[in-house]
Amino acid sequence: MSDSYVGPRTVLTVDLSTKSSHRFDLDDATFTRVLGGVGLAVELIYDYLVRNDLFAIDPLGPENPLVFAAGPFSSTPVPAANKHAIATISPLTGLLNEGLSSSHWSAVLRRCGLAALIVTGVADRWTLLVVEGDRVRFEEADSLLGYSAREVTKLVRDRLVDRTARVCSIGRAGEDGVRYASVENDGRQAGRGGTGAVFGAKRLKAIALRGRGDVALANPAATAELAAALRERAIGPATAKYRVLGTGANMRVLERMGQLPTRNFTGATFAGVERVTPEYAREHRGDYLELRAGCAGCPVQCEHMYVRKDRDRRSAGASEYESVWAFGPNCGIDSLDAVLDAIALCDREGLDTISTGGSIAFAMECVARGLIDESVFGTPLRFGNADVLVPAIEAIVAGRGFGATLALGVRAAAAAVGGNSATFAMHVKGLELPGYEPRALPTYALGLATCTRGACHNRAATYDTDLRNPGGAMDDGERAAAAIAAEDYAIVWDSLVLCKFVRDCFSDFYRDAAALWTAVTGSSLDADALRASAVHIWHRKRAINARIGWTPADDRLPARLTQEPIADGVLVGLHIDDTALELLQALYEKQREQQLVG
Amino acid sequence: MTVELFGLARALAGKAVVEIALDEPTDIGAFILALVSAYPEFDGSIIDGARAAFIEPNLLLLDGRRAPVAGETFGSADKPCVVFLASGG
Repeated sequence: MSDSYVGPRTVLTVDLSTKSSHRFDLDDATFTRVLGGVGLAVELIYDYLVRNDLFAIDPLGPENPLVFAAGPFSSTPVPAANKHAIATISPLTGLLNEGLSSSHWSAVLRRCGLAALIVTGVADRWTLLVVEGDRVRFEEADSLLGYSAREVTKLVRDRLVDRTARVCSIGRAGEDGVRYASVENDGRQAGRGGTGAVFGAKRLKAIALRGRGDVALANPAATAELAAALRERAIGPATAKYRVLGTGANMRVLERMGQLPTRNFTGATFAGVERVTPEYAREHRGDYLELRAGCAGCPVQCEHMYVRKDRDRRSAGASEYESVWAFGPNCGIDSLDAVLDAIALCDREGLDTISTGGSIAFAMECVARGLIDESVFGTPLRFGNADVLVPAIEAIVAGRGFGATLALGVRAAAAAVGGNSATFAMHVKGLELPGYEPRALPTYALGLATCTRGACHNRAATYDTDLRNPGGAMDDGERAAAAIAAEDYAIVWDSLVLCKFVRDCFSDFYRDAAALWTAVTGSSLDADALRASAVHIWHRKRAINARIGWTPADDRLPARLTQEPIADGVLVGLHIDDTALELLQALYEKQREQQLVG
Repeated sequence: MTVELFGLARALAGKAVVEIALDEPTDIGAFILALVSAYPEFDGSIIDGARAAFIEPNLLLLDGRRAPVAGETFGSADKPCVVFLASGG
């Protein structure tokens, strides 16, 4: 076996302004340095900014790049690995945003012979970008406007007369510039940070891929053996919680642990929690139909969707923890039907559910504090009023009334509302918080503050450290090191790209992942080299943010988390000491700097 | 002993709260053996019966707050909860 990287190494760049494209190939060293997925997308953005001498960048301007980078295990026998990264400068945070999506589109990107696709410029009219192996076409997309991603997929396939074409698209929210609009392919979303709004600003409605090329494996026999072993473990007890109930089952556990953020983080328990869980839906089988879904090539099939049996099954909503939390406990709503309807509506319109729910919860608290009128969406905008979800979401998408303010995210909405609303605008760097309670999870709190993307539980991934050691003591140096280790670990997962839902399927992740990498790509890497890649990628992320305007002052948690203790539940009274957090952040920064010296 | 079940454990047992026959106070080893004896379907999914240990990501928490330390004994008053590590979403 040679050390040369086997697999697609071509980057296709497309300029929508000039309707031109060109290709270049990446060298072996790039792959060993950044792997693929998030690592490659970040590296390409960094190179683009430097090459074009760009510093401050308008996320909605023509110079903002949209970078799609395939996972290097995509379109191979490795399970839970058909994934790709999408990176851009976020219109919500003004900083780097790297999301992941999955399934067939990811696989076909490599079958088009591509390691990555970079889109820049702004089209003069709404455009459907078609990549067909070696060819690139720019087609009008006016006729696709107003349709959901799922509908666009069908329309594009009809137009191309190809049922196998793979399409990623925005919905109306992206067209209308909602700052947290998502991008969808194959029913999977790159949800966070407003990548859909960047599509919309470029007048890019969709990207269709048609590719049937083979994706070579360096060592097919070794790949097959390792992939089979991982697949076997992925259908075992390590993933049973995802297969049987899905992530929605987190709800009751976190509530019992006193760590379920409720009513815009004013509480940590929720009396109605039972009624918004998958357990509830399963134990009311007479009322609810359960549908299962998942990504191509994944044996876990983690997505559980529910719909009342007397309704059209196409209106089923996904019972993902974060989505249900955002519209359920975080808005004080205990109606499973209303929550599922809100999730389905967000998917149809192309909205990030976490930011949408977080924005509505913020608005509910504005009403409770007398800062805005409760009738801005017609029906009273109060915690617990399930009837307000759909009209609020529709107003956000349409940019109607107060919906136009919420469409900017809670940071900008607080600036518009005024009063003391900034103290309860639950975001970090402009990205709304997910459903884990930072006051109960000290390593997570640190990771959330320092995360280059903003308040992202998946990039920081530090909550796992705390949940595995509930109530455990750790000194500040150990905690800073633990946060860094968790972030770097997540970077490797996001760059290989493997779904983190199979993380308990590895006995020695770095060793086993390095073996997979070498079998698939032929490029020799060991566990230490993977760790070094993570360090390089994290510092690239920081360098991008520093270049476009990040300062250490941005690494701050919402005031509520440092000024108000947990109000109820078994962890009542816990709080974050602002001064202690600052000291912890200083240790974190010092350890990150030492990585560069090393 | 009264035990609260969450997630997969609840789905397998068919209820959120169960009673298992066990002298109190008890330790984690005896607790696991009693639990798997009462619910054999937990073996291989929640519990490794041969090792008398929880299979990750499942674990025991007392009152949802902390895992028992080695050698610690506990009873119903400590509110044992069989949970799993929440993740993702």
